[in-house]
Amino acid sequence: MRNLQLLGVILFFMGFLLAEQQPIPKEDACIRCHKEMDEEQEEGQKLFPDILNDIHLKRGLSCADCHGGDPEAFDDEDKAMWDNESFSGEVSRTDEIAMCGSCHSDPRFMRQYSTAIRTDQVKQYWTSKHGMELKRGNKKVAICTDCHGVHGILSVEDPRSPVYDMNVPSTCSNCHSNSDYMAEFGIPTDQYYKYRKSVHGEALLDNNDVGAPACNDCHGNHGAIPPDVSHISDICGTCHVNNDQLFQESHLKPIFVKRGFGQCEACHGNHEVLKPNDDFLNWEHGSVCVQCHEDKGGEAKIMADHFYTLLDSLKGQIAIANSFVEKADQKGMEVSDLLFPLEEAHKVLIQTRTSIHSFNKDYVEEIAKPGFEATKTAIEGGKAALAEFDFRRKGLFISSLIITFLALALYLKIKDIDRKQSKDKS
Amino acid sequence: MGIYESLNERLYLDKIVEFSKKKKVPVFYGTIWYYLGGVSLFLFITQVVSGVLLLLYYQPGVATAFESVRFIVSKVEFGWLIREIHSWSANLFIFFVFLHMFTVFFAKAYRKPRELTWFSGMLLLFLALGFGFSGYLLPWNELAFFATKVGSDIAGSIPVVGDFLLRLLRGGDEVSGATLSRFFGIHVAIIPAVFTVLLGIHLVLVQVQGMSIPPELEKVPEEDRRYMPFFPNFALRDVLTWLIILNVVALLAVFFPWELGVKADFLAPAPPGVKPEWYFMFMYQTLRLIPAHVWFIEGELLGILTFMLGGLIWFFVPLLDKKAKVGERSKFWNWFGIILIIYMITMTIWGYLV
Repeated sequence: MRNLQLLGVILFFMGFLLAEQQPIPKEDACIRCHKEMDEEQEEGQKLFPDILNDIHLKRGLSCADCHGGDPEAFDDEDKAMWDNESFSGEVSRTDEIAMCGSCHSDPRFMRQYSTAIRTDQVKQYWTSKHGMELKRGNKKVAICTDCHGVHGILSVEDPRSPVYDMNVPSTCSNCHSNSDYMAEFGIPTDQYYKYRKSVHGEALLDNNDVGAPACNDCHGNHGAIPPDVSHISDICGTCHVNNDQLFQESHLKPIFVKRGFGQCEACHGNHEVLKPNDDFLNWEHGSVCVQCHEDKGGEAKIMADHFYTLLDSLKGQIAIANSFVEKADQKGMEVSDLLFPLEEAHKVLIQTRTSIHSFNKDYVEEIAKPGFEATKTAIEGGKAALAEFDFRRKGLFISSLIITFLALALYLKIKDIDRKQSKDKS
Repeated sequence: MGIYESLNERLYLDKIVEFSKKKKVPVFYGTIWYYLGGVSLFLFITQVVSGVLLLLYYQPGVATAFESVRFIVSKVEFGWLIREIHSWSANLFIFFVFLHMFTVFFAKAYRKPRELTWFSGMLLLFLALGFGFSGYLLPWNELAFFATKVGSDIAGSIPVVGDFLLRLLRGGDEVSGATLSRFFGIHVAIIPAVFTVLLGIHLVLVQVQGMSIPPELEKVPEEDRRYMPFFPNFALRDVLTWLIILNVVALLAVFFPWELGVKADFLAPAPPGVKPEWYFMFMYQTLRLIPAHVWFIEGELLGILTFMLGGLIWFFVPLLDKKAKVGERSKFWNWFGIILIIYMITMTIWGYLV
């Protein structure tokens, strides 16, 4: 028993040791010298200790694998660097893509780290806006290290990495929000500002929902390119499948394509996608339809009004049903059965909002129909419960009256018997 | 020949009629306490009738118990009323049985020759508590589920037989569908069968031995004592009390309906405010207050052993109260009863306040 306890204690502490144990980078000539030099460097220029967390070093690569030189040449600077043919020193921005790609584009090499690891980054990069500009000789565009970091590169899965889902917007904004830096490209620099206010930005950055899209989810990672107008719905549709499908089949799709409108973007915006609300259909206040139909309301206004009224009416019915059910519940009636139609009505309301993307009056009405039926069931059930409550009260009053009358009659009878008996005795 | 004569030839009804004519009830300051037994009996009958009606729709089982009770209260015509009457009369039944027990105790009605009446009455009280404990789980809602878990845990702490008792109650290691089936069987078959037999014995003993009077009244000469005929005077007063109680039950049922709550979920965490039924609260609160360890013994175990010992002393009071045997009041037992009542009330209120 004591042995078992001892074994338990040992295993417990071993667990700590194992948990703390990380592959320690081998201290070669580069590390030894640069560590000493690092002490004289200013903050922000220091390599250590960040470099020790570098995923490459941890996986057994050394400084020499990127920069060349002889890492075994301790105490001999010339032999380690200047006299060594392989030494490249600082990697130029134009050479960096090929240098990273020498490993990352080699499936055979990369497979030793993970069988699922991708090796198409370089290929994609050259198709991206960044890659194309670099090819043209513009060195201001983003290269691998601008996004992933230089020394101390962390895994994409590491929340400290600049390319971790939640850090991507601020990483992109390092350049894209800098108006001076971006001036020569002639593109806006308010994307981050807009995104930060959007429903996507709120979900990702405020609610920590890593399922919400960051810049790369729409623009791509290594093949980053602005989506053209005709493909916006394809991008939005990867997540908003139903909305996209309905729009693709709608009569508005060819019109949007013909006129070069940005499909989803035309109504919802791009970076600043705000939480949609029913006022998008309110012709008098906040309608997005008026952006195109302003002067020729006609049929478009009729349809928008129809959808708006339909949604408003369903919401109204749900509110009425809710109030009846709540009132009955507060009075102590058993109404849990009515929660199902209420839930159904809420579900249909969401489906109806989605169905608006078909811009088909009959279809939208068909989708909304079960919602109205469900609210009808809940309203009738709520009314019945309240009527039952009244019936119980009235029933109680009548029953109580009868019982009290009986009790009173009995009391009088008892008194009468008592009186007769005492009379008989006397 | 009339029906009565015909039945009389076979059932000797004349003797019963003769007995009822002669049966009389003492009239004094404590006559009102005589009605408590009758009220308890009325509430028990109400329980049986409403319980049988509930049985027509109730379906034991994890997947059906909660749903069937919901069906009863929401869909079955007057189902809500039957369930409310069953629940409320159950609580009033236990309240009046306790009240009946204490009045019998202070009237010293347990003294010779009525020891057996006391013993049978005490057993009926234990069974009534068993009715309450087993019936509480049957709607299979969250509060009942966890209260049963706690209650059966306490039973499991009893030394020697605890483990056996726990498994016997739960039908396994945990409160589950097996517990529900078991409690259903206990509630509608086992306890009612034993209860009916004991109730029969209790009533026969009361009829055979007549109403007990307090020791001080016994000293009054027979010719100076006042009586009223059992039939019709007392019987009609009994019925009058029953009508008042029926009215109270109806009022409670309509104005204070019992919530069905949320269906029990094995995986859900215990909701806040899990408390036993009010009649177990004084014991529950005591167990909560006892420190984890008292000297060398576990606090909970000490509490349970104390309650068991207290229950045994209370049960055997007719044999222990030497003064009552000779027709005198014992100050010790009087104070014992008073302190017990104060303790029970205080702990119950405390239990609900914290």
